[in-house]
Amino acid sequence: MAHDPHHNPGDPPTLHDVDTVSSVVTVYAVVLALAVANILLASADLKAMALPVQLGIASVQACLVAWYWMHMRRGDTAVTLSAFTTLFFMFIFFVLVLADVLTRWRAAI
Amino acid sequence: MSASTHGHGTVLKHHFDNLEQQHSAERLGMWFFLVTEVLFFSGMFVAYTVYRNWYPGEFAFASSHLIWWIAAINTGLLITSSLTMTLAIRSAQLGDKAGLIRRLLLTFALGGGFMGFKALEYTTDYHERFVPGEVFRTEYARPLAELTADDARRKYEGRPVLTAQEVKDYQFKGGQEHWSQDLATRNYGKTPGAEGTVSPERVQLFLMFYYIMTGIHGVHIIVGLGCILWLVCEAWRGAIPREAYSKVEVISLYWHLVDMIWLFLMPLLYLIGTRGGH
Amino acid sequence: MSIVIGDTPRTAPPPPEPETPRRSYLNETSGFWSWALTVDHKRIGILYLVSITFFFLVGGIAAGLVRANLLTPNGAILTEDQYNKAFTAHGVVMLFLFLIPSIPAVFGNFLVPLMIGAKDLAFPKLNLASWYVYMIGAAFMVWGLLSGGIDTGWTLYPPYSSRFSHSSVAPGVFGVFITGFSSIMTGLNIMVTVHKMRAPGMTWGRLPLFIWAMYATSFIQLLGTPVVAITLLLLLVERLAGVGIFDPSIGGDPVLYQHLFWFYSHPAVYIMIVPGMGVVSEVLTCFSRKNIFGYKAVAWSSVGIAVVGFLVWAHHMFVAGISYYSALLFSFLTMLVAVPSAIKVFNWVATLYRGSITFQAPMMFTLAFLVLFTVGGVTGMFLATMGTDIHLHDTYFVVAHFHFVMVGGMVLAYLAGIHFWWPKMTGRMYSDFWSKTSATVIFVGFFFTFVPQFVLGYHGMPRRYPNYPEEFQVYNVLSTAGASILGVGYLMPAVYLTLSLFFGPKASANPWSATGLEWQVPSPPTVFNFEYLPITVCGPYEYAIGVDQMGRGLPEPPGAGDDNPAAKVGPTGPIGARPKETEVVG
Repeated sequence: MAHDPHHNPGDPPTLHDVDTVSSVVTVYAVVLALAVANILLASADLKAMALPVQLGIASVQACLVAWYWMHMRRGDTAVTLSAFTTLFFMFIFFVLVLADVLTRWRAAI
Repeated sequence: MSASTHGHGTVLKHHFDNLEQQHSAERLGMWFFLVTEVLFFSGMFVAYTVYRNWYPGEFAFASSHLIWWIAAINTGLLITSSLTMTLAIRSAQLGDKAGLIRRLLLTFALGGGFMGFKALEYTTDYHERFVPGEVFRTEYARPLAELTADDARRKYEGRPVLTAQEVKDYQFKGGQEHWSQDLATRNYGKTPGAEGTVSPERVQLFLMFYYIMTGIHGVHIIVGLGCILWLVCEAWRGAIPREAYSKVEVISLYWHLVDMIWLFLMPLLYLIGTRGGH
Repeated sequence: MSIVIGDTPRTAPPPPEPETPRRSYLNETSGFWSWALTVDHKRIGILYLVSITFFFLVGGIAAGLVRANLLTPNGAILTEDQYNKAFTAHGVVMLFLFLIPSIPAVFGNFLVPLMIGAKDLAFPKLNLASWYVYMIGAAFMVWGLLSGGIDTGWTLYPPYSSRFSHSSVAPGVFGVFITGFSSIMTGLNIMVTVHKMRAPGMTWGRLPLFIWAMYATSFIQLLGTPVVAITLLLLLVERLAGVGIFDPSIGGDPVLYQHLFWFYSHPAVYIMIVPGMGVVSEVLTCFSRKNIFGYKAVAWSSVGIAVVGFLVWAHHMFVAGISYYSALLFSFLTMLVAVPSAIKVFNWVATLYRGSITFQAPMMFTLAFLVLFTVGGVTGMFLATMGTDIHLHDTYFVVAHFHFVMVGGMVLAYLAGIHFWWPKMTGRMYSDFWSKTSATVIFVGFFFTFVPQFVLGYHGMPRRYPNYPEEFQVYNVLSTAGASILGVGYLMPAVYLTLSLFFGPKASANPWSATGLEWQVPSPPTVFNFEYLPITVCGPYEYAIGVDQMGRGLPEPPGAGDDNPAAKVGPTGPIGARPKETEVVG
């Protein structure tokens, strides 16, 4: 947490803790535009690239929401750590399950 | 929870030393809860990944028969509701009670709209019998029966049996659902499991994922709507002075996560394969 | 304050005994609603204590039925169907209603705020809610038991549990699902409390190792429990709707259930054991009057177990049909998880070395833990190695292994904790003689119950089978006899601890002369824990210098006044110059 010498812990939030309307709305515009792009791109025949592109767009949207709207940019270490830890364990979950599923011998279905 | 409007003496709970510690703890508590929510949904995403990898054709087929335009509208509604929720925190921080209530109610309306469209979507799916289990099997059997009967009649009349192209172009007359006609035309005349068939069982597997994942997501939306309504009540009776803004922030963190989950869910369920339209 | 380190341990005089106030957290308010709606973390800890003791009894009765049935080669008292239900009940109740909540919900709730100098946990109402959620989940499980029981084994594998079993799977599974939320709430509360509510001076490097252990446990609870929640939900949907994602007839994979299930259930065993390890660190240091050897190693190994514990789950599935390559991978990862546990054991033993050890009941339980946990852990290596696991999987070897770590490890650590903190929680001291006797009886009973099971498993007796070849009967009878002794041993604390509530001598604030902050408040504590803000100035185990965490002196340790000339001790340890490891942390 930022330790502003003029900011006593008991005070109400100072102005630098409050989001500006323009920052909130800008993020909104970008996230919405990305959503529209995602849907429109579904009509383009991307074949194998479709899934990575969709997940990539969703990830960018998620990062924007988390960083700005969920105030991750305020920098509470515990919050940042918990976000990255979650991602790490999700990654483990996916990778180790797929390590089994993708390497099994299977007869032609 | 604090009950009075008078100053931050009652906003501060007795076991905390100061408001900053309290707000910081509340935020961290909600973040930890969000961690559990993400892991909760992860189980389903992992299972989905396994089956999509095994049955890409069936997943693409089923996805193409979902109502994508409702999903598109819902995506817009949810993202906008996250906007209004974030602005609501700002209102709370500035002590703007009217603005706070207005923005919370807007969020509620947008989220309610989401659920409304979802209800429309589910009822449409149900009317189309696009539901796994006995309902699905019965509906799928109908175009198959029509095709079989037509083919048998042709044979009886001495005409050649339906060619593959004729099956593809077949005009159904029996009032079957579009998806079941589509499925029947793809599968008729082929041995199950052959090249180009779409297994109806595995389509049902996709539908399990569709209903369970959107259903659980919907439950989370409803809970969020309840929390927002609670905030409206708290704000109305003056229990959200500037010092207590973190109540709004904590609920907004949850709401943003539910939004983020939808942003991943939507393409994975509705946008598999090239969209040709419903 | 002045801390003098010299040849002759002479420190600041012990603080005056805090006046035992007339009102403690136990009698500040009275009446049913003051307990039913309490938000005091200490009362909630007591509520959990009562509940889990009850369910330990229920699970124990189920165990008794299982062992009694195994007296004869063809099932002595139960039909095969009843036998399935008995071992399932034993597993489900013991794991979800006793082991997983035990130390976190009882001691975590009671002690975490006290140990870090806080007035309560971060979310007191959430804490109370967690107990009610636990009880509601337990009620559903009891409904499942009373309406005929579940016969699938505690692992609930589909398609049997989802399609073919005619037992009360749905209420039982729903009950487990609900208790999972209690676990999450407790873990969340503890983690936020440790992050945000430590008293001044209580840095991460001065936290008692019990707190590190509770933190690591909460970490696992937070990350793992949601996955079993979704898994059980999916199982319920499949059972109730008749169609589901694990159903092979629509292309589903039952092994996928096992992946999802064990992703939680393996870390769950670390939820069970890591708090016990925390208790061991507290008790060992106090009763050997010595600082922990390797504080950082022990602290970080708790975190290490929590992290690596998530990477190993498919060692439960080596013969289930997973791919050979992933089995190799998981076998290797499983061997890694033994490392942090081993680090702890080595550090504990090094702590004991050249300590002045006394053998009160908490210490006896803890020393038994060291032996039995090590044996249990080492036998885990046989199971981690894929080649031997193929021979040992689903035999009594596995049963013996996990009972060694869970009963010989966790239950003994739980009992050590009960005996260590009983005077703090209740303000009464129990009988020294009877507590030591019960520790001995439990150890002997345990030995005879589970050592024969290693032999049985090695010779191939499968688990969960109601019958076995004639030549195995002698081991089964021995095991059942041991279980009876164990049962007696468990009943003894129930008796003398209860009696102590009424007839035991009143306990002082710090009867064991321990250094933690929880010992600086009266026994039992007042409602708001600390009358003044406790300021921490040193690490948690400064026994050698003879100071508590606030830098004040310690009272006479137990056993100091023994009439034994060979054990002449001063206020903090043997008199006379003795070079000792001291490490003022932070």
